[in-house]
Amino acid sequence: MDVLAEEFGSLTPEQLAAPIPTVEEKWRLLPAFLKVKGLVKQHIDSFNYFINVEIKKIMKANEKVTSDADPMWYLKYLNIYVGLPDVEESFNVTRPVSPHECRLRDMTYSAPITVDIEYTRGSQRIIRNALPIGRMPIMLRSSNCVLTGKTPAEFAKLNECPLDPGGYFIVKGVEKVILIQEQLSKNRIIVEADRKGTVGASVTSSTHEKKSRTNMAVKQGRFYLRHNTLSEDIPIVIIFKAMGVESDQEIVQMIGTEEHVMAAFGPSLEECQKAQIFTQMQALKYIGNKVRRQRMWGGGPKKTKIEEARELLASTILTHVPVKEFNFRAKCIYTAVMVRRVILAQGDNKVDDRDYYGNKRLELAGQLLSLLFEDLFKKFNSEMKKIADQVIPKQRAAQFDVVKHMRQDQITNGMVNAISTGNWSLKRFKMDRQGVTQVLSRLSYISALGMMTRISSQFEKTRKVSGPRSLQPSQWGMLCPSDTPEGEACGLVKNLALMTHITTDMEDGPIVKLASNLGVEDVNLLCGEELSYPNVFLVFLNGNILGVIRDHKKLVNTFRLMRRAGYINEFVSISTNLTDRCVYISSDGGRLCRPYIIVKKQKPAVTNKHMEELAQGYRNFEDFLHESLVEYLDVNEENDCNIALYEHTINKDTTHLEIEPFTLLGVCAGLIPYPHHNQSPRNTYQCAMGKQAMGTIGYNQRNRIDTLMYLLAYPQKPMVKTKTIELIEFEKLPAGQNATVAVMSYSGYDIEDALVLNKASLDRGFGRCLVYKNAKCTLKRYTNQTFDKVMGPMLDAATRKPIWRHEILDADGICSPGEKVENKQVLVNKSMPTVTQIPLEGSNVPQQPQYKDVPITYKGATDSYIEKVMISSNAEDAFLIKMLLRQTRRPEIGDKFSSRHGQKGVCGLIVPQEDMPFCDSGICPDIIMNPHGFPSRMTVGKLIELLAGKAGVLDGRFHYGTAFGGSKVKDVCEDLVRHGYNYLGKDYVTSGITGEPLEAYIYFGPVYYQKLKHMVLDKMHARARGPRAVLTRQPTEGRSRDGGLRLGEMERDCLIGYGASMLLLERLMISSDAFEVDVCGQCGLLGYSGWCHYCKSSCHVSSLRIPYACKLLFQELQSMNIIPRLKLSKYNE
Amino acid sequence: MWGLTVDTQKDAKPSKQQPMTFIYRKCLTENEIISRDPIRCRECQYRIMYRKRTKTGGF
Repeated sequence: MDVLAEEFGSLTPEQLAAPIPTVEEKWRLLPAFLKVKGLVKQHIDSFNYFINVEIKKIMKANEKVTSDADPMWYLKYLNIYVGLPDVEESFNVTRPVSPHECRLRDMTYSAPITVDIEYTRGSQRIIRNALPIGRMPIMLRSSNCVLTGKTPAEFAKLNECPLDPGGYFIVKGVEKVILIQEQLSKNRIIVEADRKGTVGASVTSSTHEKKSRTNMAVKQGRFYLRHNTLSEDIPIVIIFKAMGVESDQEIVQMIGTEEHVMAAFGPSLEECQKAQIFTQMQALKYIGNKVRRQRMWGGGPKKTKIEEARELLASTILTHVPVKEFNFRAKCIYTAVMVRRVILAQGDNKVDDRDYYGNKRLELAGQLLSLLFEDLFKKFNSEMKKIADQVIPKQRAAQFDVVKHMRQDQITNGMVNAISTGNWSLKRFKMDRQGVTQVLSRLSYISALGMMTRISSQFEKTRKVSGPRSLQPSQWGMLCPSDTPEGEACGLVKNLALMTHITTDMEDGPIVKLASNLGVEDVNLLCGEELSYPNVFLVFLNGNILGVIRDHKKLVNTFRLMRRAGYINEFVSISTNLTDRCVYISSDGGRLCRPYIIVKKQKPAVTNKHMEELAQGYRNFEDFLHESLVEYLDVNEENDCNIALYEHTINKDTTHLEIEPFTLLGVCAGLIPYPHHNQSPRNTYQCAMGKQAMGTIGYNQRNRIDTLMYLLAYPQKPMVKTKTIELIEFEKLPAGQNATVAVMSYSGYDIEDALVLNKASLDRGFGRCLVYKNAKCTLKRYTNQTFDKVMGPMLDAATRKPIWRHEILDADGICSPGEKVENKQVLVNKSMPTVTQIPLEGSNVPQQPQYKDVPITYKGATDSYIEKVMISSNAEDAFLIKMLLRQTRRPEIGDKFSSRHGQKGVCGLIVPQEDMPFCDSGICPDIIMNPHGFPSRMTVGKLIELLAGKAGVLDGRFHYGTAFGGSKVKDVCEDLVRHGYNYLGKDYVTSGITGEPLEAYIYFGPVYYQKLKHMVLDKMHARARGPRAVLTRQPTEGRSRDGGLRLGEMERDCLIGYGASMLLLERLMISSDAFEVDVCGQCGLLGYSGWCHYCKSSCHVSSLRIPYACKLLFQELQSMNIIPRLKLSKYNE
Repeated sequence: MWGLTVDTQKDAKPSKQQPMTFIYRKCLTENEIISRDPIRCRECQYRIMYRKRTKTGGF
């Protein structure tokens, strides 16, 4: 009763009785949110930040170039800009370019980077504006892309799809995505136990200049600092003394004066005493002797050991803690806090969780490119300095003008190569990463969208730890719990949820100011004792200690109020950690966050009135933020809040309300209807399969000439849709068809998930798909003034008609659209000069260049049709001919299909419609599915989808299968009854073969089926005789090389077990790599043509058949000084 | 299997010299391409061209 009185005492009876107001259609906030943030916007925001803000900061940090040769000479950057994407038409004439043109012409969609500079030429000071220094690949839909702010009609004019998400680059005609990289947060103290259970702390500090890792280790109860620039661990007390805290009392005060803390720190003090180090000078000298020698380049003035140690402490150890004029106070306190954390972690406090998502940061395209650009820019500057050093001393007629030496290709090529190969190797940060970029998968719209939300982590795939792979509770609502691949990358590759946003860096100056106004006392003014007071909280800003606060609750509350009022950026987060007694303020980039509705006095701030205004267009999402109805929370701040999932769960502690629960799923999982009724792995399977489904890829799909493109001939909207489907506009670019499914057994060709298809449905176009491939050819010019040629078709001498191979060629030697191409026919009859190098002087040059034929031929099991022939020029001004080849395929036995519930199956049989069962309204199923697929898979969602689909068909409307909501089974079933159907969705079905009714009622209705890209036509393979590998003379491997069918080890074991020795011999030797060898019976070595070279005789040489691989092994062993000898005996002896 | 290869084997017969190509573009002007001239539409300066669908005049 007391508890109740406490909770509800302040309310009047009317208030108590009032129903909790529910906000109707809160989900409408989502489309509004997706307009401004979310999904691919983080890529675009991050890139925008880089080209508009970060690039200027990089320029500022490297603004001056000087020369050793002339102290008067300098070059200073005044400003830097990234322009709009263009191409060079002819010399110095540029023209804006559209992304689609770049795709077709194999060019890079990039914009010039221009700088304003001030420099000296002789004694003159010159200012030059808008000098190009290189080209920057431009992210589609970023602020500098030609597509921003265009209407759908303008998109169509540019041959671009308005639904295409953007956020990728076009480099050399290939669409490349820079994947989101997950990393452990920089500049944060992480306390963790190692394998032996000893606790230690570590910090990875990172600033623009340096990156270093500092460890705090405990050995025999003493504390040491470990760093890779120090040859051995340094006792922590010596570090303190070196930083100017000489008094033991002060050290202990900073770390903590609690009894157990002092006891734990005692041995460390003692050790320092034993080492006879009492003053700063002694400590610095001690450290100076332990500094690892670094390769000194430049060779500045020689420093003493003491100076070296002081420099190291100030700049390398804990780099991110600023040290101004050797004022080590902040760094001392930081070190003390580290020690204190370790001591406390040995007691009640737990060690930190590395997998906790608040400790993670996501690196986006902008950050990765800024690292790359900074590196290239520095290289560019040092190159100029080198040139200046070389050129200035030589007196010339023309004075040294640096503008003539600014080369554009270095930065351009650096950026293009990094993006096109995905190798990010930066020497300065010891960074060498592979696979940062991937080709954007264009199998379907979903696969492209799914790629944009993908996160890859830096963990090794081979390691068998479960921690980083398993789902972390802190990922709730930020990352999709279903969408992860199976197998080795399981749990390491993740996907963003629908409403997640990733922050970009923010200015922290105003936050520091605000914090001190709110009562945060500066660290530099503290004696150290205060840190361990029970009611004093440490305040951190992005991992640096800002100071201490006495009333942390007030600080946090006022801070949040200020943020809601818009005085601070909405993405700055503040959270308290009660166990560590800290307040963390973060404004750094790469944090995950998502919006929530604010709850005030147990009522959500967003009301129906607001939603109406949103629907009418008076309001947008930004207004919700500005009026403090909605706010962003990051993972750390989420931990500090009480978030209600639904209105009715709001209680007096609730601070926020979830916008919609289905947003915890990502894009791929959002397609699944009723996912909350499925067994969870099934949803994961569907996430993987949804990306392989054929369908539509964009409104511009017919204008694209991709290497491989799968399209569905007649795609349909799903009958049962979800809110996510509407939000991502999957309905406009669908990938699948609504098939009428009968869940029953039919023939024996439906076991193991095989499907039986209706032949008439296939005739009507069910599952019919278009497969496009391209053929490419460039006509180059060579250095010796020769060039590639296209020759006309070769004519048959007798008939004067083109020979069969050249049948489809036009008079100019290029095939023409509409023609049917068969295997081995020529598409472009290209010929190439035999000599392409500039001939050496003196050698005789033939007047007429010789040509050899290098035709582009078509190779494929089935014929194709030429859809399009494009001719253009690429960036190097060579002719580029691209042909688009089309195949239309109808489903056949062995093609793979899947519903949206991880229920895949291959086509097992195609049955004429006459033989198909039909229901009493005369409907024949398109697909018959075996009911054995259900019990073990437990995909109840599919059963409900069928019901809802059937009701929808009857009513002529779509039903919703949104996660944690959607149309209710009860309502749907009532709809069925209304139309005279069975409540359970079962139908009376007549057999098409016998004409008798089936013995059971059949579960019958439409289910959305996807056709997957795996088709037998691309996989069929057979071989009798064929190519062999050169080295082993065994048949080649793999379909692409027309390889043999392998009789593997297990099959071999069977034959051995059975004793079929002749069969074994035939399979493994005679049909493979049998080889006649001459073996000398005396020495046991291999001879040659009946002669033993070792014995110099032919007496004992006999000829036998062994596998060539065996002979090769003997020879390889011999080359390693191991002699294998064969012992021969007669088989009948 | 289903890819494209560059065939280097040499056929003996001589072939006709290459004439010009007629290629169509969006602005619907027909352009003649003269070998080794830059590809560019006479009307709209566009640099991508497509070949006309029919070889013979059609119906």
